[in-house]
Amino acid sequence: MGYKLLAIILGKVIIYLTKILKIGGGSAAPGYYALKFYPNLVAELTKDIPKTVVITGTNGKTTTSRMLYYFAREQGLKVIRNSTGSNLERGIASTLISNSHMSSGKLKNVDLAIWELDEAAFNQLVPEKIKPDIIIFLNVFRDQLDRYGEIDSILRGWKKTLEKIGKDTTVLINGDDQNLLGLKNSIKCKVETFGIEDYKIKGEGTVKKIGEEKLDLEAKNVNLLGLSGTNFDIQDRHETWSFSIPLPGIYHVYDFLAAYITSQKLGIGRQAVISALDHYSPAFGRAEKLDFGYILLIKNPTGATQVLETLKGELKVGDRLLFALNDNIADGTDVSWIWDSEFEMLSAVSSQLSAICSGTRAEDMALRLKYAGLEPEQIIIQRDLKKALKQAREGLGGRLFILPTYTALLRLQKILAREGTKEHYWKE
Amino acid sequence: MKLIIGHLYPELMNIYGDMGNIIALQKRAEWRGIEVVIKKFSIENKLKQGKVDLFFFGGGQDQAQELVAGDLVASSKGKIIKKEVEKGVPLLAICGGYQLLGEYYQPHNATKLTGIGVFPAYTVAGDNRMIGNIVVQSSWFTVHGQEETSMNNELPAKHTMNYLVGFENHSGKTFLKEGAQPLGQVVKGFGNNGEDQTEGCIYKNAVGSYMHGSLLPKNPGLADWLLTKALELKYGKEIALEPLDNTLENLAHKAAVLKYS
Repeated sequence: MGYKLLAIILGKVIIYLTKILKIGGGSAAPGYYALKFYPNLVAELTKDIPKTVVITGTNGKTTTSRMLYYFAREQGLKVIRNSTGSNLERGIASTLISNSHMSSGKLKNVDLAIWELDEAAFNQLVPEKIKPDIIIFLNVFRDQLDRYGEIDSILRGWKKTLEKIGKDTTVLINGDDQNLLGLKNSIKCKVETFGIEDYKIKGEGTVKKIGEEKLDLEAKNVNLLGLSGTNFDIQDRHETWSFSIPLPGIYHVYDFLAAYITSQKLGIGRQAVISALDHYSPAFGRAEKLDFGYILLIKNPTGATQVLETLKGELKVGDRLLFALNDNIADGTDVSWIWDSEFEMLSAVSSQLSAICSGTRAEDMALRLKYAGLEPEQIIIQRDLKKALKQAREGLGGRLFILPTYTALLRLQKILAREGTKEHYWKE
Repeated sequence: MKLIIGHLYPELMNIYGDMGNIIALQKRAEWRGIEVVIKKFSIENKLKQGKVDLFFFGGGQDQAQELVAGDLVASSKGKIIKKEVEKGVPLLAICGGYQLLGEYYQPHNATKLTGIGVFPAYTVAGDNRMIGNIVVQSSWFTVHGQEETSMNNELPAKHTMNYLVGFENHSGKTFLKEGAQPLGQVVKGFGNNGEDQTEGCIYKNAVGSYMHGSLLPKNPGLADWLLTKALELKYGKEIALEPLDNTLENLAHKAAVLKYS
């Protein structure tokens, strides 16, 4: 028996144990230990996959990956993807292990792999361990600087990697992100740009586009309908198509565009895209609907500001807010970023609101809300998320909007799963 | 009363949480009925003497920092800032801003960036990033509660009341020159250089520091000290700021001290 097979069996045992013991961590631990045992696992198991798509960027990876997954599945393709935001090598290894045969150590029959990779993991895996047919660059924003470093150094890393990419790869770039357009010079293969008519990303927000910036594919007539979704048109080869996505905010249009172009390159029919959107449900905590409200992940200034923009138009008398700010490694240990998000947007609708602040840095969150214009009497601090959730739901007249950082979201999913409100995330 | 806050290079020097310092200064003034105007000074803007009551200078990425270093000299903004600080105009500079206001910055394998020389300090590029929560014991400020409006040198040295809390993320190592006054002594974290336990620098009413966090919201005593100094210079009289309810500020401060020191 080879070491590779042993690594796969080891991974499978860990997957089994985490499931029966309900200890979570099912998306990273199997890959982590299997890789310790057999470091070349990812390269060997991915080499026979017919088509591979890699998605990177600061925000929107999970949503883009999920949409593309829906489109491909609708077309009847067998797809594997790393889910639940485990976008390092170990997350990919875990996915590969759970899709491998225990007897032969070979990957099951798949048509397409969709890998979301974080900004740094991209450089570690592409192209040596993962050879993508399509690479998507969604955006680059200030994120957790303690983990990823500054935007300049992220771009430098990507450029280096792109110089190693072969001619048969297609690179898709969000052309409304000026920082990303700079990557074009480092690319020898085919590049296509996508974007939204009249929009341009500047700093943490979008501004009106000025001058001529011809992109290969543009969304037009964007109509933002808050949490009910977004409508827009796409002109593709002289034909105009109308789309409606069940996700709020302008940024999700970019995620859709990336998934859409990719689907077209993979030969997925437009009709499959449209019918997949009909039953699309948002990813894990990304504007995810619950019986009593919504969960909207916040993890960096841009993402949070975008969520607040959506909430501004949605909040009504009787609604409540629950913020859960953690400073664990996966959240970023620096909570300074909350001061770069425009929580001031809440002040316009704040007079009737009550906000509960939870998480390891609950006090920092409470302070941010005070300086954003909420009265201290409207702000409650409850570090323990389970208690905070209970308190937030007691006597709730309207809806509850929960805004957690990443590890707070994981904890929240567990709490909700235990009480039966939500399926456990590994079943997604 | 009215206060003009000059935000230096806000588009280029705003790496992480720098807005929090502006928000804290603005709100804490406005809550006391002091009108605040925030003026941005970017590469294309001119800075004249006597037009700004309080300066804020945030941190930036390497490329931005080079641009700004050049402009500080070319536009003579640097000279004016130095003159204003000599006059007693308060200033807060964080991370990159702090480095540029020292005497020079020496990057790896590149030419020295000449600083403005407000702070008697210099910075050299380091090999490791100094990242993490930081707690500093400052003999200069009361951070908590009732004495927030003024500097208080009499507090017992080991009292948590005069701790400053924040988050640092830098690879540059700053060294203070002989006789320079640090902002405080590191209790937990790296500070100026990870070697001599000093953090930040104070010269007249100018404060330089590596502490993000954001610094001022969780350290309201420092925010109020800057506001007081600005108003005193502008209106030529002693100012006692109206006390504010700092319950949430103190909770956040205390939580950080307890967790990280």
